[in-house]
Amino acid sequence: MPALNLQHVHKRFGATLALDGASLKVERGTVHGLVGENGAGKSTLIKILAGIHTADAGQVSIDGRSYHRLSPRQVDALGVQFIHQERLLPASFTVGEALFFGHELRRGPFVDRRRQQREAQRLLADYFDLQLPAGALVSELNSAERQVLQITRALIRQPKILVFDEPSVALVKREVDQLLRIVRRLRDQGLSILYISHYLQEIDSLCDEVTVLRNGRDVAVVEPRHTSSAEIARLMVNRAVQEMYPKARVAVGEPLLQVKSLSLARRYRHIDLQVRRGEIVGLTGLVGSGAKELFKTLFGIEQADSGSIHLQGRLLRLRSPGQAIAAGIALVPEERRSQGIAPALSVLENLTLAGLGRFSRWGLLSRSREQAETARLIDELAIKAPGPHAAVSQLSGGNQQKVALGKWLSRRSAVYLLDEPCVGVDVGAKVEIYRLIGRLVQEGAAVLVLSSDLPELLGISDRILVLHRGEIAGEFRAGEADSDRLLACATGAVPAAAVRAREVEHA
Amino acid sequence: MLEALLRRGSVGVFLAILLGFAVAAPNFLSVGNLANVFSQSAILGVLAFGLTCVIIGGGSNVVAGGLDLSLAANLGLCAAVFSRLNNAGLELWLTVSLALACGVAVGLINGLAVVLLRLPPLLATLASMNVLAGLELVLTENTVVPTDSPLLDLLSGGAWLGVPALAWVLLVTAGLLTLLIQHSPYGLRLHAVGEYPQAAEAAGLRNARYVLSSYLLAGLCAAVAALCSAAFFSGSTTGSGDMLLSVVAIAFLGVVFSRRLVASIPGTLFAALLIGFLINGFQLLNVSSFWVNGLQGVLILLVVAASSALSRGSHP
Repeated sequence: MPALNLQHVHKRFGATLALDGASLKVERGTVHGLVGENGAGKSTLIKILAGIHTADAGQVSIDGRSYHRLSPRQVDALGVQFIHQERLLPASFTVGEALFFGHELRRGPFVDRRRQQREAQRLLADYFDLQLPAGALVSELNSAERQVLQITRALIRQPKILVFDEPSVALVKREVDQLLRIVRRLRDQGLSILYISHYLQEIDSLCDEVTVLRNGRDVAVVEPRHTSSAEIARLMVNRAVQEMYPKARVAVGEPLLQVKSLSLARRYRHIDLQVRRGEIVGLTGLVGSGAKELFKTLFGIEQADSGSIHLQGRLLRLRSPGQAIAAGIALVPEERRSQGIAPALSVLENLTLAGLGRFSRWGLLSRSREQAETARLIDELAIKAPGPHAAVSQLSGGNQQKVALGKWLSRRSAVYLLDEPCVGVDVGAKVEIYRLIGRLVQEGAAVLVLSSDLPELLGISDRILVLHRGEIAGEFRAGEADSDRLLACATGAVPAAAVRAREVEHA
Repeated sequence: MLEALLRRGSVGVFLAILLGFAVAAPNFLSVGNLANVFSQSAILGVLAFGLTCVIIGGGSNVVAGGLDLSLAANLGLCAAVFSRLNNAGLELWLTVSLALACGVAVGLINGLAVVLLRLPPLLATLASMNVLAGLELVLTENTVVPTDSPLLDLLSGGAWLGVPALAWVLLVTAGLLTLLIQHSPYGLRLHAVGEYPQAAEAAGLRNARYVLSSYLLAGLCAAVAALCSAAFFSGSTTGSGDMLLSVVAIAFLGVVFSRRLVASIPGTLFAALLIGFLINGFQLLNVSSFWVNGLQGVLILLVVAASSALSRGSHP
């Protein structure tokens, strides 16, 4: 009898079918991996198991008993504990308080802090050989120690099943190794473990069996012993690259953006990259790969610890986004609604916002110049809007994104940083946005696109850089890579050094 | 760095102020004057305990976290209710119970507005503050309502072991709330709910209940403070809303008197006494009390700025 058995689970949120008959079976005393792309339904499945969502159809069996509807308390009582990606520990709590809150050790009506402290030290030493100073606060611990605390907190409840949901995202290599050792030991002590990760290396070295989710369905159950990581990655993706990427032929010129050995502690290390005039460079990486943070650094939102950024040969010391913009760097952020556009302002106001200096005289805005430029952009970008004075919030997602991009067009920056430019945009608008990106490089700009949509990157980029745990793990030329290889590289299924060496040799 | 400075610095500043006044005003440290400060701090202190509970349960973010701006107005209403009912000849125990019930009921409304309607506490309690002030005007017709009762005489004139009754109210309330908030499982969980709601939820706590309960405690504190106020002024008086700034100042200032730099009942007690000593010292030195108001404003700015700088630094 399996420890955990989810059968044919269906779940729909509005128009999206998150789970379409997914099944998952964890045998007693084994580590079972769960992998899938973003949006494959992993987190929905886990939330159903945790009692946070209720399945539309299908059933969940824990220890041989079936349930249609579970509450979080019930799940807790059944001996299922979750270790989430975030460390769910209040920062101002002591180690003892953080381990026991919700199930405090008491003396009379009061919390017995001294006994909690003693127990905490005993448990941490017993399970993990971890000595923490008495009275240490959670805020004083590093993320690996917090992770251990989180696991210990789960173990106190004497669970039969432990669910790890992306536990290694914020950890560095050495800490990950320690985590894997801990998980193996817990399995050897007889616990059943469900381990969700998009790092295929971890899955490969840890799991007895792996379920692959794709589009809300379990497409395969494989044993990593007999299946390569590359094969697992292929099972995860399995998509055809659509013919939807208009690619303009542009002569590549001199390097505009050069990044040398850029490092930021715990985020990314020794990043070298350059983007040349007329070139579209793709950048991808999983959550925690450091790609987002790299973008923030290039736009002056975060400062790197070491390394340098050159723009057109000039060394940049960016302390704020304002300086980046002045230097000629434009960022189109992923959070379109909160950062990319001002939803309540009109199309005209949004389009001219980034270059107001060009439309003003004696400190006052020239309406006629603004209107002329806006009319030109609306026409060129094919922005579908009731008129230049319509609020941007009325437009569709794709048209909002065109406004966010068009805003920078009125400024002519040298380097464009595009963060997930097509997320939440319908297919038709996507093609227009790709065309727009093509125009940017035709006009002599350099474009760096950060995207987790691999077919998109493959379709529009000249080169693709893959980040894995803060380092550039691979560099691919367009036409020489496919989604499988990118994903294998991003998940660490292929040792980083090997890919880079091979690609360089290739070039 | 900033953290260590705040922790050690705050106690140092407290002692330096005491020392400064002791040197400048000869009778500052006399037993009579100290007792005076304690009883004069009772009203503000008890109100600030209420606010402290709300901040702990709702989180210390000034804009999005727990906040109860209606505390001072709630006090005014409870004092008016007490005075009116007492003058109408109701029995003392009934009058007291109804005044306390009034405070708790206001807390319940605030809590429901926050928990059920999901209004930001800042706005919910700003609105109820105005409603309460209006109700108070209806009851008092914007005049002083004098009243007289053995309980008020005891509170204003009584003493035990040489300590005035109002000072006892402050200390006993502080003691009881310290046990509840700092040492009971309920209190620990309230901290968790306020500081990291997702963590509390993942631990199986029902956050809404804890948040609601913190507003009930605040309402109760307002009612207790109202009794102290009625004793101090021999009835209901106008202008209770003016205390709001001081209450907020005390509750946020209390944060620097705790090791972990979070709101706590003992920290708030320290802060209430610090403000009390400031007011008292200025009076002894014949400095206008207007300066105290300005100083409180500056303290709020400093503490809120420091704590938001801290939270920016500590959260990954």
